[in-house]
This record gives sequence, structure tokens and C-alpha cells, in this order.
Amino acid sequence: MRVALLIASASLHGGIAMPHIAYLAILPEIVMLGGAILLLAVASLVRSALNVTVITVSTLVISLASLAAALWQFFDVQSHGAYTTLDHAVVLDGFSVLVTVLVASAMALTALVGDGYQRREGLAGPEFNVLAMVSATGAMLMGEANDLVIVFLGLEILSIALYVLAAFNRRRAESGEAALKYFLLGGFSSAIFVYGIALTYGATGTTNLTQIADFLAKNVVVSDGLLLAGLTLLLVGFAFKVAAVPFHMWTPDVYQGSPTPITGFMSAVAKAAGFAALIRVFVSSFGVLRVDWQPIIYALAVVTLLVGAVLALIQTDIKRMLAYSSINHAGFVLLGLEAAGALGKVGARGVSSALYYLFAYTFMAIGSFAIVSVLGGRGDAAHEISNYKGLGKRQPFLALAFAVLLLSQAGAPFTTGFWAKLQVVAAAVDANSVPLAVIAMVSAAVAAFFYLRVVLLMYSPKKFVSDQEGDRLENLDASGDAVASTSAREPLWSGSGRQTALVNELNATLLLESSPETIEVPDEREGDVVNVPVLAVVAIGICIAVTVGFGVFPAPLADFAHKASLLFMP
Amino acid sequence: MDQYLPIVLLLGLGLLFAAGSFVGSSLLGPAKKPTGAKIAPYECGIVPDHEPPQRFPVRFYLVAMIFIIFDIEIVFLYPWAVIFREIRVFGFVEVLVFAVVVFVAFLFLISNGALNWGPAKRLSEGMPSRTSDSTILRITATPSPPTSPERAA
Repeated sequence: MRVALLIASASLHGGIAMPHIAYLAILPEIVMLGGAILLLAVASLVRSALNVTVITVSTLVISLASLAAALWQFFDVQSHGAYTTLDHAVVLDGFSVLVTVLVASAMALTALVGDGYQRREGLAGPEFNVLAMVSATGAMLMGEANDLVIVFLGLEILSIALYVLAAFNRRRAESGEAALKYFLLGGFSSAIFVYGIALTYGATGTTNLTQIADFLAKNVVVSDGLLLAGLTLLLVGFAFKVAAVPFHMWTPDVYQGSPTPITGFMSAVAKAAGFAALIRVFVSSFGVLRVDWQPIIYALAVVTLLVGAVLALIQTDIKRMLAYSSINHAGFVLLGLEAAGALGKVGARGVSSALYYLFAYTFMAIGSFAIVSVLGGRGDAAHEISNYKGLGKRQPFLALAFAVLLLSQAGAPFTTGFWAKLQVVAAAVDANSVPLAVIAMVSAAVAAFFYLRVVLLMYSPKKFVSDQEGDRLENLDASGDAVASTSAREPLWSGSGRQTALVNELNATLLLESSPETIEVPDEREGDVVNVPVLAVVAIGICIAVTVGFGVFPAPLADFAHKASLLFMP
Repeated sequence: MDQYLPIVLLLGLGLLFAAGSFVGSSLLGPAKKPTGAKIAPYECGIVPDHEPPQRFPVRFYLVAMIFIIFDIEIVFLYPWAVIFREIRVFGFVEVLVFAVVVFVAFLFLISNGALNWGPAKRLSEGMPSRTSDSTILRITATPSPPTSPERAA
């Protein structure tokens, strides 16, 4: 019926009405996607395969150009105010600019980390960076979508590229497993999301976010079953993307199996984009229905905070631990969203606190996963938490960087992690959700435990580590090797009868009078000293600079997030 | 609710057709239950205890995917052609951009040898790290990495 009307009106006016396009609003996307396609074309046309360095540098240039375009948008929004374009399907406001800046920075950092990864794994070709850039384009689109269809488009562009990226290390079985799981569950959640769009369209007669808000403001929906079902299904689709708890099952497996630079990208960009669209859809279109969705978000936040923190405690794989920690972080962002449901200034504060949290989290996550990627070694093999034993001695700078990022994730003062947690909790208290704020703080305390456990493990000498029996045995074994390897030493045992006793005695003396060199041997066994690629160092350095820099001087970033929320409604 | 009547009717017809096919084939078809001997691959010889592996070139999937890319392009070209006069230059440029994107995908496929039929020449390319050791390691699924020579010594 509606379509028929549209066609009728189009033919009445003698043509299809062309939407006005403000190209500035989609400039970062155009740069990112155009750059990706150009890179793919060039890489396909040149005779020999492009060097990894060339690809990384061009990716960096494209990402930074996109970032520059986003900053141009920022100044434009500052001077001219927010506006919608492309027939109101795309909106340019402070909120979208912040998401675009975040995604472009995350892309640049991922290119830096991915360079070393591709060399180590022998993955030649432009596909890694091209797919990541396509994915980033989708994320940017989600941040500035003002229409449910555009949200879905962005979601799919983001996700499909990520499915492929998860499988990128094709010589690793876990990578394929992660991709298949992500693909099946992601496809399922996308279907649910589309169903939500359909029901919302059925209830309100439009997919445009502004028009949905208008419709709900002017009409009282008497039988609101359809509308609420649509709302719930949309929430399920988003909750899957951001890994909120009942829909988080895929997260640990996918984060563990994916190539580690991609895990960082996924955790930062997919979460940021998902939350950006979630906040915009729920706050700006369904603001009228806040009584209906706020309790759901409240419950989601509680279970997400608790499950994320508690399950992270029992992980033995560092990537799984960080996956559960990212679930815990999603709970904190939900805290901001719950507060964003409130009216007026409190709601605005909720939005800005959620955005601030996403921004802080992006750099913490990419930095942490960059370090995990570097330490993982060839084939992403060494991801056991026990591999981090004695890292402080083996690789002091890397250990220090990891400690700083983990402490920031735990919410230690003088880091962005602290301000981010403070802001969301303060926003929740403002919105009269004191019990939620208390639960958040309890979960932060629980979370601090598993972050600090890794930090302690990195800096503790080997023999003080918890599993003493196992360690003792390992020590025996290792120092046996040490003795065997120092061939100058006379073999003390030759027969087989008293061998064990002798070895034990020998080890005891070795352990007692051991010089630092002999202590090094057991450490080396757990993970050799990896050489850290320069570009990864740059990426980790930037992440730490942002995390600590804005932690010590929080004003600029808080101001940025604040501006984002002020221009929130178009 | 009137407007949903055709959909319900279509749904009913679809179900009816599916059910009818089953009923029809069981009524009209040769109604003999296949015995175990009849569905066995060979009438004599050793009874196979598992399905024989079927080697299926992955190239078929590649061709299917390539087909879908261009199929989608055609899907968009038809409606564009129908309303070409109404959307003029803007529409032309839009379709051109779309075609360029698809064409770059085509370039990528060609350059990666997706359309090279015949014996796979570049099979081992892109696996510089592969040695006979690593292959053996993978096949035997040994969990520990190979010890480095200086430690083994």
C-alpha cells in the first residue's frame, strides 16, 4: 500500500525525488571504503605481491585521512550544528563524530599491530587490511545511522568482514572454528534484528529514527504488543553484537580463536558500533518507551556485570579472560545506557558517560590485545595465563605496558579506565539506580582481582606462584635440562639406579645457590623472549599514551564526550 | 487483517503442495522398501563400514561465489535500466560506482588465480613456514612445539 503510494507520488511529480547529499557527512566512510577498494585494485594489478610494509603504510594513510575527515566533521558540527542528510537516513552530530573518530583510530592501531602479525604468520596479501577497513566503514555507518535500515546495513558490512577476518589465519583450526561460530550466531542475530525492524515498521509505519520518535510522541499506541516485540528483538540483535550477557556465548570462543589483532579490533570496534547504534535507537527513537526498556537494560546490565567478572576469574587462557573482561566492560556501558534513559540532563550525562567508556575501552582493549598478540608467538600458541609467569623479568617494558593497561581496565586512578568507571557509576547514581551502581562497583572489585592476578604473575618470581607442587616438579625438570645443557659440567650420574635421588639433590643445591642465569632457564621454557615488532610498539605506545594521558588530564576527552551528547538529538 | 489473506493463502498452498508431493509420490511411486542389500554401493565384496570420502574440488564453491557476485550486479542493473530516464546522471554515476566495486572484486579474483582451471600450481605458495617437520607435527597433532636445537643438544 505504502509502496504503491510512493510510486504513485513519484509518477505524479514526474520523477523520483533525488535526496540531497551532504558529502561531508559520509566523507570518512567514502575515504575508508574507497581507500580499501583502491588498495585491493592496486594489489591485484601489480605484477608481484605487494610488500606488507606498503600495505600497512597505505592502510595507515587511509585511516588517518578518514580520521582527518572525522575531525573536519567535528569542527563543522561545532560551527554549524548537527544535521541529517540523504533523506534523513544519515545524521551528522557530535555523537556520530565521536564514533567515527574512535573507529578510525582503532583501524589505524589495528593496522600497526596487524603488520607484525602478518609477517609472523606469513600471511601475505592486502586482504587483512582491506577487510578490516571495510569492517570499519560499517562501524562508522552504524554510528551515524538515522534509519533502522542503515543501522542494519552498517551492522552487516561490519559483521561480514569480521566473519572472514576471524577465519583469517587459515592454518589454525581454532580460527576457522571461531569464524564458523561467529558467522552462524551472528547471522542468526542479524535475522532477529531484521525481524525487529519489520515489527517496528509495522507498528510505527516508518524505519526512520526521527520519524519513529515523532510517531511515538504524537500517538498513543494502545495495543503496543507489536511495538514492544519489535523493540525487544532489536535489543537482542544489539545485545549480541555488544556481547551483553544472555547473548554472550560466542564471545570467549570467537575472541580466543580469532587472530589476536582482529580480536582487539573486534572487541573495540564492534562493541563501539553496536553500542552507538543501540544508544541512538533506544534513546532518540524509543525515548517515550523508556519505562518499558529501562528495566530490561537494568537487568541486562546486572547479569552482564556479574557473569563477565565471575567467569573471567576461572579462565586459564588470557584471551578468554580478556573476552570475559570485555563482557564485564559491556555491563558498564549498559550502566550508562540505563542512565541515558532518564530525562533531560541526567540522560545526556548517561549518553556521554557511555561514549566516554567506549572511547577509553577502545584504547585499553586494542593495547592489551596488541601485547597478547606479540607474546602469543607464531601460530598464536602461547596464550595460557601461565605463560605470563616471570614476564617482568624477561621483557620488562612489555610487562610494564601490559600492567598499565590491565590496571586501567581494572579502573586504577590516573588512567582513563578509572574516569570511565567513575562517570558511568556517577551517571547511574544520578539516574537513581543506586543498587545498579553498587553492583557495578562490586563487579569492578571482582574484576580487579583477575587483572591483578596477571600483573602479579608477571612480576612474581617463579617459586612464589600459587601452584607450588606443579612448579616444584617443573623446576626439577627444568634445572635437569639446565644441567644437561651446560655440557662443561661433568655428568654426575651415569647409571639408572640412584638417578632420581641424585637429580633431586643436585636440583636442591642448584636452586639454593643458583645464580640469576640458572633461574632464567625455567622462565625461558615457558615462553622465549619474543622480539617485538616496532610498529606494534608504536601502537602499544599510543594506547598507553591515550590511556594514561587522558587519565592524568581527563578534561579534553571528557569535554569531547560531553559535546557528543549535547548535539545528540538532531 | 484482510491484506494478509493472500499471504496466508500462499502459505496454505505451499504446505498443500509439499504435503501433496509426499503423498503423491508414495501413492504413485514404486512402493518397495529398499533392503539393505539394495542400497549398498556394491553387490559383492567387502561390506564398507563407512561412507567413502568424496573429493569435491573447492573450485566449485569459488565459481558459485563468483556467480553470486555478478548475479547481484545484474539484479541491481535491471531496475536501474527500467528507471534510467528518471534518475539520469545521478543514477548513472551510482551504478558506475557499484560496477567499479564489483569489477575490483573480479580483478582480485583473477589476480589470485580463482579462475585458473587445471592443475593447482600455486598450492604451496603463501606457506613459507611449512616444513616437513611442521606437517608431521600437524598430522600427529603433537601438542608441544618442537624443541629448539640448542636445547635438544
